[in-house]
Amino acid sequence: MRCRLLQSTTVAGILFLISILLYGFAVAFNPGDTDLNCAECHSCETPTAQDRCLKSCPSFSMTHVTADHNLSEAPGTIFLDYIADEYQAVRFDHKIHADMAEMGLKCATCHHYSPPGRIPACRECHGGEANPNSLRQPALKGAYHRQCISCHREWSHDTKCVICHLPANGSLSTDSYDSTDILGISHPIITEPVKKVYHISCDEGNVVTFYHKQHVELYGLKCANCHQDENCSYCHDLAKSSPEGSPSVIAKSPEEIHATCNNCHDNDNCDKCHDSRERPPFSHSMTGWELNQFHENLDCRACHPTGKKISRLDNSCSSCHAGWDQSNFEHSVTGLRLDEIHIEADCIDCHMELHYEKTPTCDNCHDDDINHKETPPGTFLMKAKSH
Amino acid sequence: MGIKRRDFLKLAGVASTSLLPDLAAAEACAPDFDHSFGVLVDTTVCIGCRKCEWACDQQNNLSELKKHDFEDKTILKSHRRPSKDAFTVVNSFTDGAASDKISYMKVQCMHCNDPACVSACIVGALQKCPHGVVTYDAWKCIGCRYCMVACPFQVPAYEYDNALDPQVKKCTFCMERIHDGQPPACVEICPAEALTFGKRRQLIDLAHHKIKKNPERYYDHVYGEYEVGGTSWMYLASTEFVNTELPQLPADSMPDNTEKIQHGIFKSFIPPLALYGLLGLIMHSLRNDKNQQESE
Repeated sequence: MRCRLLQSTTVAGILFLISILLYGFAVAFNPGDTDLNCAECHSCETPTAQDRCLKSCPSFSMTHVTADHNLSEAPGTIFLDYIADEYQAVRFDHKIHADMAEMGLKCATCHHYSPPGRIPACRECHGGEANPNSLRQPALKGAYHRQCISCHREWSHDTKCVICHLPANGSLSTDSYDSTDILGISHPIITEPVKKVYHISCDEGNVVTFYHKQHVELYGLKCANCHQDENCSYCHDLAKSSPEGSPSVIAKSPEEIHATCNNCHDNDNCDKCHDSRERPPFSHSMTGWELNQFHENLDCRACHPTGKKISRLDNSCSSCHAGWDQSNFEHSVTGLRLDEIHIEADCIDCHMELHYEKTPTCDNCHDDDINHKETPPGTFLMKAKSH
Repeated sequence: MGIKRRDFLKLAGVASTSLLPDLAAAEACAPDFDHSFGVLVDTTVCIGCRKCEWACDQQNNLSELKKHDFEDKTILKSHRRPSKDAFTVVNSFTDGAASDKISYMKVQCMHCNDPACVSACIVGALQKCPHGVVTYDAWKCIGCRYCMVACPFQVPAYEYDNALDPQVKKCTFCMERIHDGQPPACVEICPAEALTFGKRRQLIDLAHHKIKKNPERYYDHVYGEYEVGGTSWMYLASTEFVNTELPQLPADSMPDNTEKIQHGIFKSFIPPLALYGLLGLIMHSLRNDKNQQESE
């Protein structure tokens, strides 16, 4: 009898524990806790796994969820022929445009209000006819034209239909076709400059040396960190280009350039960039601490996690490697494999006051005047450098 | 005109005697401009393709021009005005003298909420309909062209080359199309949907929504929301409207001022009473003089 009672108490206890766990799980993963509004995606009040009642065209604001896709997933060339009547289908090179949008708002440059997951095509939200109930939503023709022309007119200063369209009857006089347009032309690969030297007239210093490659590779900046909202017209303005059609980069004003640099260098003085001569690239030895082979290939943020502001660190090993002691440190990476006697010793026995950069001592255990090079506490590994 | 002079004078007499009650009635059932029709013109979207001009030409059988004649974009710079052969025209403008950014603006009758042309028309040929359209009745028109003088936007045009039956010509808002549930021809053809047709209140909301969402793109002003008491056609632009060809106008409607003065003077028959009173006084004094002379 007592045994059965015990059994049922145990079962009840387990069930109670499970219910607490499930409750905790439900609380922790309640989507209602996020700042998303359910009604943005779901048309009914209580969506279930079976009936998600997802809206076909949810109107997300761009600050909320936007799907960000990899360029390789994007389609190549699309033929826009859903409403073609007077003209032939438009040959739209999606890949080129997506490539260019990388420097701007990426997919969201054109695909505004995209729900998470698959990006819907324009026609899925913009119907063929203007919707009288939603004046904010243009019909498909208006949506296409607004997206395309708003950028194209910026750099060609032209709104000719034949830039994108071929007339339906196929007869196209060559003089009306603008062959300088980008359609059908592959964009040459943009080479990143290693450095740029600006010679300016400025009281603070006439030369600014900007190491572009270092900012990307060493400091881990993405293109869009500095090249914000740049579209084709930033480089290509047909009114300002040379007759050969090579792009003319429109010069930024000093205020614009400073604003870009100040995204990170807002607390730095003028002499951080301005000098009277060209400067060498950054090397860590400038700071007074040359990096050894274990540190030289690390990303800056591995040691300086503070983000924008790189602060001066204490260069004792324990300031970063606090958890290391004789039990978990693999001493052979330093080029010296300790023998079975010395591997038992504490770090502090040889490295006085844990100053690893100083010459280790043997005096703590050995009375006779020996040093670690002549009588090593293990085996020196020849290939330690390549580790 | 078909109307006889005698009939017209009768009408005028009846109208003048019943003027005061009419005004009171008009104030009691003021038209609902929130639900009247209108069009919002987004000049930042307009590409100056002149398709609206062509559609208007076709809809109203205005000229002999062919479709390709409307593809000439060089005349966009010439600041044309609506004429008897073109109820709407597209002109280009820049964001101030120093700017090289070209935008385009379609101009046509604004279909004002309180139109000066309607107030100026002495025969009631021009009428403001409750759904927003300012209509023109050629049968009533006597060709005085007061409407052309009154219009703050200088829109009505006149058929000076028509000696026998000249008419005032302006945008009709495609009344027949609206009655059929269709938008005006220009709105329907606009490829970039720079023109949005709808109820006036919805359009104002849309315009302010656009400005709020994209404050860098738009100058914070909806032209036509308040100008001359509000207009059915309203405009958004990237620059101050002083840079465009739309005139700077007060929020009071034109008839608001003119009718106040005119109706004020003629209120309670004061001028005729004063005039006849004055004449009576003169006559009386003259008779007194005559009597005095005779008695002498």
